Amino acid sequence: MKKLLLIALFFFIIVLAACGNSDDADAGESGDSGEGGSWEPEESIEIVAPAGAGGGWDTTARMVAKVLGEEGMIEENIGVVNKTGGGGAVGWSYIANYEGDPHKLFVASPPIILIPLNGQSEYGHEDFTPLSNLIADYGAFAVREDAEWDDLNDLFEDMKEDPESVTVVGESAPGSMDHIQFVQIAKAAGVDITKIRYVSAQDGESLTQLLNGSVDVYSTGMAETVEQVKADNIKVLGITAPERLEGEVIEDFPTAIEQGIDETFVNWRGFFGPPGMDEASIAYYEDKFKELSDSEAFAEIRDQFGWDEEYMGHEEYKAFLDEQKEQVQVLLDDLGLNNE
Amino acid sequence: MLKSINSRVSLVLLVIAIVYLIFSYQLPSYAYTEVDADVIPKVLGWLLVFLAILLFFSKDNETEAQRQKRNIPKKEIGMLLGVGALIFIYIFLLEILGFILVSALFIFFCSLFLGYRSHIVNGIVSIAFSAFIYFVFTSLLQISLPSGILPL
Amino acid sequence: MGAMEGMLTGLQTAFSLQSIFFVMIGVFIGTFIGMLPGLGPISAIAVMIPITFGMDPTVALIMMAGVYYGAIFGGSTSSILLNAPGVSGTVATSFDGYPMAQRGEAGKALAIAAIASFVGGTVSVVLLMLLAPMLASVAISFSPAAYFALMLLGLTAISSLSEGSTIKALISAVAGFMVVTVGIDAQSGTQRFTFGNTNLLDGLDFLVIALGLFALAEVCTLILNRKDKSIQNAHKIGSLKLSKQDWKDMTGPMSRHSIIGFILGVLPGAGATIASFISYITEKRISKNPEEFGKGSVKGLAAPETSNNAATSGAFVPLLSLGIPGSGTTAVLLGAFLVLGVQPGPLLMTDQPDIFWGVIVSMYIGNIFLLILNLPLIPYIAKILMVPRPLLISLVVMFSMIGVYAISFNTFDLYMLLLFGVIGFLMRLFSFPAPPFILAFILGGMLEQSFRQSMTISNGSLSIFFQDPIALSILAVAALSLFIPLISKVRKGKKNN
Repeated sequence: MKKLLLIALFFFIIVLAACGNSDDADAGESGDSGEGGSWEPEESIEIVAPAGAGGGWDTTARMVAKVLGEEGMIEENIGVVNKTGGGGAVGWSYIANYEGDPHKLFVASPPIILIPLNGQSEYGHEDFTPLSNLIADYGAFAVREDAEWDDLNDLFEDMKEDPESVTVVGESAPGSMDHIQFVQIAKAAGVDITKIRYVSAQDGESLTQLLNGSVDVYSTGMAETVEQVKADNIKVLGITAPERLEGEVIEDFPTAIEQGIDETFVNWRGFFGPPGMDEASIAYYEDKFKELSDSEAFAEIRDQFGWDEEYMGHEEYKAFLDEQKEQVQVLLDDLGLNNE
Repeated sequence: MLKSINSRVSLVLLVIAIVYLIFSYQLPSYAYTEVDADVIPKVLGWLLVFLAILLFFSKDNETEAQRQKRNIPKKEIGMLLGVGALIFIYIFLLEILGFILVSALFIFFCSLFLGYRSHIVNGIVSIAFSAFIYFVFTSLLQISLPSGILPL
Repeated sequence: MGAMEGMLTGLQTAFSLQSIFFVMIGVFIGTFIGMLPGLGPISAIAVMIPITFGMDPTVALIMMAGVYYGAIFGGSTSSILLNAPGVSGTVATSFDGYPMAQRGEAGKALAIAAIASFVGGTVSVVLLMLLAPMLASVAISFSPAAYFALMLLGLTAISSLSEGSTIKALISAVAGFMVVTVGIDAQSGTQRFTFGNTNLLDGLDFLVIALGLFALAEVCTLILNRKDKSIQNAHKIGSLKLSKQDWKDMTGPMSRHSIIGFILGVLPGAGATIASFISYITEKRISKNPEEFGKGSVKGLAAPETSNNAATSGAFVPLLSLGIPGSGTTAVLLGAFLVLGVQPGPLLMTDQPDIFWGVIVSMYIGNIFLLILNLPLIPYIAKILMVPRPLLISLVVMFSMIGVYAISFNTFDLYMLLLFGVIGFLMRLFSFPAPPFILAFILGGMLEQSFRQSMTISNGSLSIFFQDPIALSILAVAALSLFIPLISKVRKGKKNN
């Protein structure tokens, strides 16, 4: 009996503490400014990386937070919070709970379009407020240096004849980025995409499998291929960028477009806010991200990671995302993978 | 028939295996792979059915000490459930009230519940431990923990 | 520049006062972070990335490397003292480390762990220095078929991981394998057993299972025994001194598992956790007294501790020589390299020998620091056991919960922890061994994925497993390891009759 009392007491004290404080919390929220006018953050800003520490989202978030803070662009503290799970779905559902709160941002990239279409998240990009896009990265398709194919057309000719003779490897599961970027370009080249064999391998095994000959084509990001190309281990048949890029080695990668395949795939990365943000706060962040994108400090970081500058403001970003989604939808319908 | 512990346990396992198999057979198929997502689960499910049946008929070869483990006095079961309940409340309130407050209260009450009677030491340890972890995570390592209602 | 010359530059870099200083700092920070619940090498490196931004790349990387193995080392402490592994690589350490500490020899257990780590780390760094360029080809030689064979070999050890009923051990293993099928299937994108719950999409984290089955289940036992006078030994720390016999017992496992761990570390995707388990199993199998394992055996503690540290250095082979991150941790480390403007890849060794060799040589120095830093601290760290039992139980629970929460910052995982704590306790009550469960959980996922990758590649033909020479030879070993004990059993049986 005494023990039960103790548990009850523990519960009671905590509930008491909770009640005692709820008033303050309400008071804080009403301080937000209304429509129009200018807006400034009133408390520390939280940037959610919907993945674990160390990944692409996490790195982008931490680097952006660092530059925004150190260059004095935003006075308030900026903290990066990791919400891991479901390829982003856990983080998105977390943000969706903070409707209209301009102090919660998150970093996003194509998975926010792909994952909902795969039926793995109830929230998609329409459910949030896209603020600004910052960078772009592109996909690359690589084969072993001694492979019989010298350009994308060679490869796709073989695949048109016998699609099952070629195995493609990527890090992520079917229906996600590495798979979709390959399917998108292959379809434009006229390959029967329902016959493409795709294997997913994590933890660096995908490159391993390409190098040891288990698979034929590696669908990945451009940066991942550079060192292997330099060492003459692999060759890049094509990249998904609209035009050739600058930079050592990268400048030699032919685009799909110049090989007569009129298709691109952008691995964009930018920042979103919760649903229902007001115009003043959207304008504030657009402004700050523009300043960040133009800053030298961020340019240095972009160079280091091999990211391309690709600033888009709120409206442009939104239109871009809708267009991206339509494109992917068509592909997934063709593959019979659309689970939305 | 169901006197032996093994046969009773095996029935529970059988139920788990069947539920697992039902869900395995409902998995959607995916056209682009040779061995689909449902193959291994089905194998595992049937394997568990097979093992459960084996267990049902196998002799009870537990040692006396192992059997003794199951004789838990009623009072002690209450103790375990109590700690379980405290953990449950902790998880429930962690993100509502914040890390420091709930952790400190948890350590204090859990120790008290288990019969620790040096209230002052208990209080100091519970607050110091929670505050220390919170400080190290949030300030030194920049890893956010729920701050909750404390003005931090 | 020749390899010799490069190595000399590396030595110079690593032995500069500045480097030594930063290795020391790195090792210290790493050990500290590793001891914190839930924070392993991944988070340790991730939090260091912004801090090192703008530092001299060589020095920063040397410090990172220090953080990396410091964190792995620090993780074994809670495994041994509290049965609550903070990092997945140290779960196997608890199998014999915790019983030894319970016997009143916590000091000795920590000392053995420190020395085994040191040996594993040092031997593998030497291997790394001598063989890195050659091993690069080993790292990529494993096809999916070979991985499948390797995982199968690991699973054949299930029965040897437990005493008593083989059926129960197998049931545990099947259950562990079942749990790992939860989540999105990588080969098809199908959601399995997620019941529409977003939190289950990525499956359950290894630490949730390990902390539930080991730490929380142990907490239940501690609660039941809290007034038991006979276990007062557990408050003793004992001497750090190892007897001649201890040293003798350790030599074998340490030399064997430095090499086994290193090779498994070199293979992308295998890593410290799998290495520590395979080493533990191997050691138990070849031991003359396998019944001592799990009860505080010196060998059973030295084997996984040597192995996980050796695997840690092994993981640097594909990273430094190929630019392939073979694990989550080295992937984060690769990110750290990129931030500092260093691109690890096949050319790193020739283009930037000072960085390549500097990092490797500093790992050697780091290992020495780990030992001198940690041995004197053991008596103080072990004092945690002097904490009165009720308070200690609360702290262990707290430690496990922070550990799980720090993985995903999601209370859902905490409820899962509680669930697996209950499952773990029930398993104890009904004498179902937990290690096979954990082993199947670790190996099962990779077993299934590599099997299905192979089948896709071969268009559904099983012959792929017999055409690959590596796969075939591992399968042969697996078959032998299954049948030899059977045959010897039959023979023994005949003799007895």
